[in-house]
Amino acid sequence: MSEIPTIAEAAKLIASKQLSPVELTRACLTRVKELDPELHAFVLRTEERALADARAAEAAVMADKRVGPLCGIPIGLKDIVDTKGITTTCHSKILRDNVPDTDATCAVKLAEAGTVLMGKTSTHEFADGGLSFDLPWPPARNPWNTKHFTAGSSSGTGAGVAAGLFLGGIGTDTGGSIRGPAALCGIAGIKPTYGLVSRAGVAPAAFTLDHIGPMAWTAEDCALMLQALAGHDPRDPASASRSIPNYTAQLGSGIKGMRIGVIHYFHEVDHKVSAGTQRGIDAAVASFRDLGAVVSEVTLSPLAEWHACGTLISLTERAAAYEEWARPRLGDFSARVQQRLLLGSMVSGVDYVQAVRRRRELRAELQAAMANLDVVLTAAQPTEAPKIDEVPEWDIGQKPSFTMPFNVAGYPAISICSGFGEGGLPVAIQLVGKPFQEATVLRIADAFEKATPFRARRPALSSALVAAQ
Amino acid sequence: MPQIDDAALDYLLARGGLRATEEQRAGLKAEYEHVAAMAERVRKPRGRMAEPVLTYGFAEEDQA
Repeated sequence: MSEIPTIAEAAKLIASKQLSPVELTRACLTRVKELDPELHAFVLRTEERALADARAAEAAVMADKRVGPLCGIPIGLKDIVDTKGITTTCHSKILRDNVPDTDATCAVKLAEAGTVLMGKTSTHEFADGGLSFDLPWPPARNPWNTKHFTAGSSSGTGAGVAAGLFLGGIGTDTGGSIRGPAALCGIAGIKPTYGLVSRAGVAPAAFTLDHIGPMAWTAEDCALMLQALAGHDPRDPASASRSIPNYTAQLGSGIKGMRIGVIHYFHEVDHKVSAGTQRGIDAAVASFRDLGAVVSEVTLSPLAEWHACGTLISLTERAAAYEEWARPRLGDFSARVQQRLLLGSMVSGVDYVQAVRRRRELRAELQAAMANLDVVLTAAQPTEAPKIDEVPEWDIGQKPSFTMPFNVAGYPAISICSGFGEGGLPVAIQLVGKPFQEATVLRIADAFEKATPFRARRPALSSALVAAQ
Repeated sequence: MPQIDDAALDYLLARGGLRATEEQRAGLKAEYEHVAAMAERVRKPRGRMAEPVLTYGFAEEDQA
């Protein structure tokens, strides 16, 4: 196989017995062997498990058993997702030899859907969201140019999907850790509504901001994965109990008359994006109009308000979650995480509660702003991927992120590729829906992807690797 | 922006049960200014009855 199929394409071929899951898996394993020594998308490869999963999938298809669209699809799991009997390190020295005795719920659901586990993917230590070079494993590299950053913390999943090492994977998102790597690696990644996908068995970063979600080449593929992942789980205390819609049913039905609000102020004033990113946003807005959507302008509180609220909550909850390890063995964390844990321990209880009170106000503001809209649109990242050695060591004082507001609100948000910047690397837009309206977000994202040429272009990996040497 | 002195830093670290190197202490002093500014930013005149968000219970109006 020379071409990398999407999940949707592979599913059709597998179901009609035109593509062998074993053949597909072997093709992915070959790419892994060739490319991962440079990309570092994996902390751990599970080749034997992958082939066993693929053979089981193939047997099911050949026996004419009823199989779903993820049967035989190679995937990667971010290495903060517990996997029974398989090392789960959280990319940290502290859990270097940790072998869980149970699977995370999302790992169970994907396995039950017939997926093929290719391995555990690189992250930033305990999904911290920042780059470190003092960990037992190197950070993932961007397949579009391996001198460049992937963003994080779902960096290995982003790099692996973009490079075709697997077709989809799990990311987690506390302030943008699905949408950031999706944006910089030129793929799709959706952070679902808080509570839609179980967090059980996934290492926490900040309990009330953490979300689990799919990352794949297209929005349609994300929809297929979300279908398997969504649903109530009593193991997760914040899990929502509600019926799950069909996330692919509305794909391809057009977006005429749908209402899109652009939060211009976020990416044009509060955190002005690069010219290439702005061009991608402007072109996307024009495409949506061409598709019949009604586009208007939306104003929310400045990004700094959302950033302050989310950062205080994130710092404090992380410090609380990891206090038991930080007190006796702070030095075993990366320098970056040490600093964040120290800082988080210094936030007062009153400061934390004021942030959580502010959160309610900000969420109410977003709810009111979206009363007559289907989605809002802003940037996902300020620029295309920076060089990995130019990423700031510590970023709390940097300009506010475009993704954190929707962790603060708990609303669903997707990052999709909207073109390529001056450096030839992907740029992205972010679409945000109302709670539990993932089907609408995915419908609009899918319509955009199918109306634009960006999904036809994959990283030229051989030249990316040569460029990095 | 609000600043923190050595005594206050010592107190906060001791309260957290954590020790910091000299290099970390310098970083914390600089970063704490940002944290303190954020803490001021989330304080609004909202009165004592304004409750926090602790858990989500999205209502029908969220989706209207």
